[in-house]
Amino acid sequence: METKIVSKNFDIPNAHTIEVALKNTRYESIHNLIFLKPQTVIDMIKASGLRGKGGGGAPSGAKWQLASDYIGEKYLVVNGDESEPGTFKDRQIIAKDPHLLIEGIIVTCFAIGAKNAYVYVRGEYEEFSNILQLAIDEAYAKNFLGNGAIIPIDITIHRGAGAYICGEKSALLESLEGNRGHPRLKPKKPEPEFYFGNPTLVNNVETIASVPFIVLHGAEAYRAYGTKDSAGTLLFAISGHVNSAGVYEVPFGTSMIEYIEKLGGGIKNGKKLKAVIPGGASTPILPAHLVKEAKLDYESLKALGSSLGTGGMIVMDEDTSMVKALKNLLRFYHHESCGQCTPCREGTSWVDKTMDKFINKSATHEDLQILKGSSKSMNGQTICVFAPAVSGVIDGFLKHFEDEFLECIV
Amino acid sequence: MKIMIDETQIECKEGELLIDVMLNNNISIPHFCYHQDLGADGNCRMCMVEIKGEKRPQVACDTLVKENLEVFTKSKNINNVKRSILELELLSHPVDCPICDQAGECKLQDYYMDYGLYESHLTTPKTHKGKHIDLGSHVMLDQERCVLCTRCIRFTSNITKTHELGIIGRGDNAKVGIAPNKPLSNPYAMNVVELCPVGALTSKDFRFKQRVWFLDSAKSICHGCSRGCNIFIDYNETKYTTEKIHRFRSRRNNEINQSFLCDYGRLSYKELNEKYEGKISDVQDLKKLLKVEKKVALVSPSLSLEQLKSVQNFTQKHKIALFSLPYLDENFGDDWLKTNERSANFKGVQELFINTLQKEFEEAFKNAELIINFDHQLLKNKPLVQFTSTQNVNQENLVFAIANFAHESGTLINCDEIRQRFEASKYKSQVPRLVELLEQLS
Amino acid sequence: MSFTQANIIKIASLMHRYPQKKALVLPLLWLAQKQEGFISDEFINTIAELTHMPYMHIYSVASFYTMFKLQKSDKKTIEVCRTLSCELNGSEAIKKYLVENYSKNYEIVAVECMGACGGSPMCTIEGKYMENVTIEMLDEVLHGN
Ligand SMILES: Cc1cc2nc3c(=O)[nH]c(=O)nc-3n(C[C@H](O)[C@H](O)[C@H](O)COP(=O)(O)O)c2cc1C
Ligand code: SF4
Ligand code: SF4
Ligand code: SF4
Ligand code: FES
Ligand code: FES
Repeated sequence: METKIVSKNFDIPNAHTIEVALKNTRYESIHNLIFLKPQTVIDMIKASGLRGKGGGGAPSGAKWQLASDYIGEKYLVVNGDESEPGTFKDRQIIAKDPHLLIEGIIVTCFAIGAKNAYVYVRGEYEEFSNILQLAIDEAYAKNFLGNGAIIPIDITIHRGAGAYICGEKSALLESLEGNRGHPRLKPKKPEPEFYFGNPTLVNNVETIASVPFIVLHGAEAYRAYGTKDSAGTLLFAISGHVNSAGVYEVPFGTSMIEYIEKLGGGIKNGKKLKAVIPGGASTPILPAHLVKEAKLDYESLKALGSSLGTGGMIVMDEDTSMVKALKNLLRFYHHESCGQCTPCREGTSWVDKTMDKFINKSATHEDLQILKGSSKSMNGQTICVFAPAVSGVIDGFLKHFEDEFLECIV
Repeated sequence: MKIMIDETQIECKEGELLIDVMLNNNISIPHFCYHQDLGADGNCRMCMVEIKGEKRPQVACDTLVKENLEVFTKSKNINNVKRSILELELLSHPVDCPICDQAGECKLQDYYMDYGLYESHLTTPKTHKGKHIDLGSHVMLDQERCVLCTRCIRFTSNITKTHELGIIGRGDNAKVGIAPNKPLSNPYAMNVVELCPVGALTSKDFRFKQRVWFLDSAKSICHGCSRGCNIFIDYNETKYTTEKIHRFRSRRNNEINQSFLCDYGRLSYKELNEKYEGKISDVQDLKKLLKVEKKVALVSPSLSLEQLKSVQNFTQKHKIALFSLPYLDENFGDDWLKTNERSANFKGVQELFINTLQKEFEEAFKNAELIINFDHQLLKNKPLVQFTSTQNVNQENLVFAIANFAHESGTLINCDEIRQRFEASKYKSQVPRLVELLEQLS
Repeated sequence: MSFTQANIIKIASLMHRYPQKKALVLPLLWLAQKQEGFISDEFINTIAELTHMPYMHIYSVASFYTMFKLQKSDKKTIEVCRTLSCELNGSEAIKKYLVENYSKNYEIVAVECMGACGGSPMCTIEGKYMENVTIEMLDEVLHGN
């Protein structure tokens, strides 16, 4: 069931060192570049059907094209902010196979014509970004990076400092420019991102780490995995009430319940499954009966009223209080709203405080209306999709577990 | 180019911001963060409109108009959107209106009335933040009333570039503030009070003095320097106080001061509440004095063109040598609004070819048998014939009190040769206007 | 307060990596915090000078990110994740145990998801990750501190 494309080297001891990495196919795709035009590489990515693995699932080839179409100074920014609760996949790449990421960065920079890449790693991941830094230093020493390289680029690690919202690409760029992490107003037409006014491609760590395989083995080899609209594999992660929490790479289209049982080791203590949050905290919850139908791909989860997100599943057993679980998440969003736009700043605070009344079993019907109403107010009216995601989270809990909330009403 | 707003055709230019088109056409569009002279920030989400062909409501402050755009501002959906945002805004906002200085000119209050929201049904605890914080420069901050529109911050970062204000913290914990021991301190600081759409920033100078709905306004021009910033004089006539004028507010003029004033000019309203309280002479006494040979008059370059002309006529008729001297102050001007020339109409003086040569004036002054001062600062304390609009005049000779510019309408020419009218307030001056006095004399 | 010689060399090499000095705000805040344990007023001034940004900008940026400490603390820090996966696996009990037993020498703070949900419950001790935490593990590591 596990299909190790990106995670191929994870279990090899010392794969983070360049000696071991080189013995295990790392940097091989770079040799292919000598015979390829940048546009050919972009076309390969388009043909592979690679979709962004940071949560949005945007087709990567099209994004690369947008950046590539500009001339002049360009940048690649790799998003390693990984702060979505339930998500801990990028960190595996950074710590276990950093040379894969570096290789992917070199290929991507070649394709879009960038000379500088920044890897934005969440501040808490200091141990892991130190490993990446050592790998980068090794790559410089071996002339894979820097002026002496065939594709001369620089990679700089930029550490975040504790702000979930900096995973949102425009907030990330603000942070990289030395500002508060406030998301920017969205452009009306498709265009790349901009770093200090220069066109910039932002991709997730895992997206970039998927690139070497495609360049080495071809788009078809990648497409051979997954489904028509969800090509390839993903480092799905599983946590919560399971026996073997962890990160396991499987092709898109894998059955969710099988994944939970076979790779996640089933529910802890022999309990029954109650619900799963399928792709990081910001994706709407699925109750057990829908989990049984769900496939791990974009289409299936969308049809079930949720989404694939980052692929980080949070599993809850039969004893879990849904009221407590929602309170937990709303406290998170309250803490993490950047505070820029009114509906989100005030809304996340209000729903979090309202949940206290449900926890204390002192809520009223009006409080339930408040939850529903604020959820509406947070949807579709804000600068970024943080607030709409919160609204989706609330709606999901209320749609499937409203009775538990009603029980808390005096 | 034409667009449709609520089924009315509106003329506009390609590339204009939708919100500007609406504001310029007096179409009501609720907004906190957008300001025509500070630009868009997009944080308040109050300016949402529906646009034909767009799935979701859009903010008018981040939408450029294009041919045949169809905009709806009053649909049920949009009203609900605004209501819900206001409702959220009011959650942590203290219900302070009865004691808030901004009441009457608070956008939050206006909007929630418009959208039919009254008391919030809030039983969850409000987020508490700082109140009565003295920011410096006469500005007080109430963080609980702040809607975080960042207008004040954008003013100090982008306009004065003094950077005293910023957001501290994150999420609903974010507050506007100054850094410890770094007060708001720049010659334009008090603009933030006017920019603040709610009562979060108030002026110590104006706090609790007057309820704004008792005030009348006159469209006038600041006389503090030659920039000629456009102002509203806010005044009211009560029986119980001699203080009639309560503040100057900026009146938007894109060519001159946009929406801003310097603090000096803003506070210069206080002089207009002064009036000469000494003995006032008899006009006939002056008539007698006019018989002497060597007569010199000095006229203030802050008088309006109309006043200057009537002084000029008067002096010509009576063969009085007329001079005017500038109010130069090298320490006043800056590279924005304030100018070293501190009179309001020196360009007007020059247009009328009134003699401004210091040397010639001094010569004439030395030999003069009669000196008449038309409100010029230089001769305020000299024993002469004084026409004065302020107090502090030596009363050794003849003194005539005249009305100040709050009671005048007239024309001024500013430092950039822009000719502007200002209007008199409606309350009556207790002393005659200069032009009336001069008429009596002839 | 100024940066140590070693840090000044680091800063000089970092400067070349960014298109504008302003981009150094976060890296410099990190260096300052590493050097002094927190971000002092003097350091904010130093960073403002080095990046040609106003003091308020640096202060406002620092206050946005939860990991930057604007106050000095004498205690070491233990962070306990309180987010969903960790809560489902008993983080509340871990936190309670830490507060009851180790508050004297440590500052115990609840934090949001640290990206270690697969090893929940988790905590960090002086920034170092500890996953699948049990009370026994804590006692062993913290004993004598
Ligand atoms: C609130 C929010 C948080 C996000 N956090 C992350 C993150 O931690 N890591 C990430 O790669 N993308 C995150 N994203 C998605 C990014 O905005 C962006 O779409 C992504 O980095 C693009 O890369 P991809 O196309 O390779 O996925 C987040 C988006 C939002 C709205
Ligand atoms: S939706 Fe929330 S997180 Fe996004 S910009 Fe607005 S306040 Fe910030
Ligand atoms: S103090 Fe006033 S102007 Fe400043 S952000 Fe708050 S509401 Fe806006
Ligand atoms: S700049 Fe001059 S005209 Fe403008 S407000 Fe100040 S003193 Fe008055
Ligand atoms: S005025 Fe448009 S969002 Fe505030
Ligand atoms: S929930 Fe604790 S590390 Fe993710």
